[in-house]
Amino acid sequence: MSRPGLTTACAAMLRRDLTLAWRRRGDIAMPVLYALIVTMLFPFALGPEDTLLQRIAGGVVLVTILLAMLLALDAMFSSDIEDGSLEQLVLAPQPLALMLAMKILAHWLTTALPLIVISPLLAGMLHLPTSVMPVLMLALLLSTPMLSLLGAILVALTAGTRRSGMLLALMLLPLCVPVVIFAAGAVAASQQGLPWLAPIAWLGAALVLLLVLAPLACAAALRIALDA
Amino acid sequence: MSAALTAVPDHAILLETRALGFYRQDEPVFASLNFRLRAGELGLIEGDNGSGKTTLMRILAGLLHVDEGELYWRGQPLQRDRCVGEVLFLGHQLGLKADLSPAENLQVAGGLHGYRAQTTLSAALTEVGLSGYEDEPVRRLSAGQKKRAALARLVLLPATLWLLDEPYANLDRTGIALVNRLLEEHLARDGAALVTSHGTVSFHGGEPQRIRMHA
Repeated sequence: MSRPGLTTACAAMLRRDLTLAWRRRGDIAMPVLYALIVTMLFPFALGPEDTLLQRIAGGVVLVTILLAMLLALDAMFSSDIEDGSLEQLVLAPQPLALMLAMKILAHWLTTALPLIVISPLLAGMLHLPTSVMPVLMLALLLSTPMLSLLGAILVALTAGTRRSGMLLALMLLPLCVPVVIFAAGAVAASQQGLPWLAPIAWLGAALVLLLVLAPLACAAALRIALDA
Repeated sequence: MSAALTAVPDHAILLETRALGFYRQDEPVFASLNFRLRAGELGLIEGDNGSGKTTLMRILAGLLHVDEGELYWRGQPLQRDRCVGEVLFLGHQLGLKADLSPAENLQVAGGLHGYRAQTTLSAALTEVGLSGYEDEPVRRLSAGQKKRAALARLVLLPATLWLLDEPYANLDRTGIALVNRLLEEHLARDGAALVTSHGTVSFHGGEPQRIRMHA
């Protein structure tokens, strides 16, 4: 009766969720297509003026990616609750918070990472100067995990409620304001040739905080959701 | 009665409930439930629909909080972390991912719980009669086959106490025999099991302890 180590358990969880995502790879493409189409709408709506589009490019890409991630967030725990996998996970002799952290990581890898990969394309459609691209990617690399983690807490809290999708958006978007301010701030600063490290550092600090706290909050919220 | 219960220390007692009760909106689902389950013993929880069998199972598994009364695990008050890994719960929801095959589902469970000694994944699947379906996605299996895939966890994972909620549901004659055989083997290993059923169960390995649910 030897209990498997944390590494084995984490690997099993991560592989499970990545396999599941791969079996439904159409779902991975959905947020990517959504982000592409939304970004494409801006030049149509605002006119193809380079200066105007350049000024709003960073913010538009950030907000679009945030909204695209919101589309996929709802499904983070719902299928596991429906088919009883979550019960089994709660009862497994492993730290629930860490297992949920693996689920969040898998979710980030399958929804946010594809969006970050196409972000230069999105920014290019809005004529963002290529010199700013690395800062945009860095800001996205730090801010998207935060959205996944914040979103995971709220998904866990709204688990079991009906029509949780809209509620989720209403709860998550206000919490994203600081993330958007710092991420867009870094991009804008870099665009104007100003130092951009400070807002990036703030994002990094907030991410570390959330990395520690969010899985614990998720675990507590899901235990309460099952205890009903 | 309770004084007599506490006076005799019995290490073979795995699980003990004292005046266990559960309420939904102040209405009792069940109340003052007392039973002890020893190693090597099978408890059969009987009751009509809505008598709280599943609720009791979820409380014992640690999914629901205890409203009233006390729960003891090996003589100690039951805390969430104490019996984790010793209890295997099989509920109405089977905990199988429909997009994964039975083998992949079992691999995940094995990664979380570990494997019992001298069992392998393919042997477990063969034992529950799913050889040939290892790589078929669970969504394409029949209800009975899904149940068998969930039962394979009982063969493969180490646990002392099995909590089986309606293990006979959806199973054919050989499936029911399979559950009984798994239970007999488990009890012979000094394991214990609690089984709910609202039908009649003919269990051949000795007379089970019958626990009647009432409000």
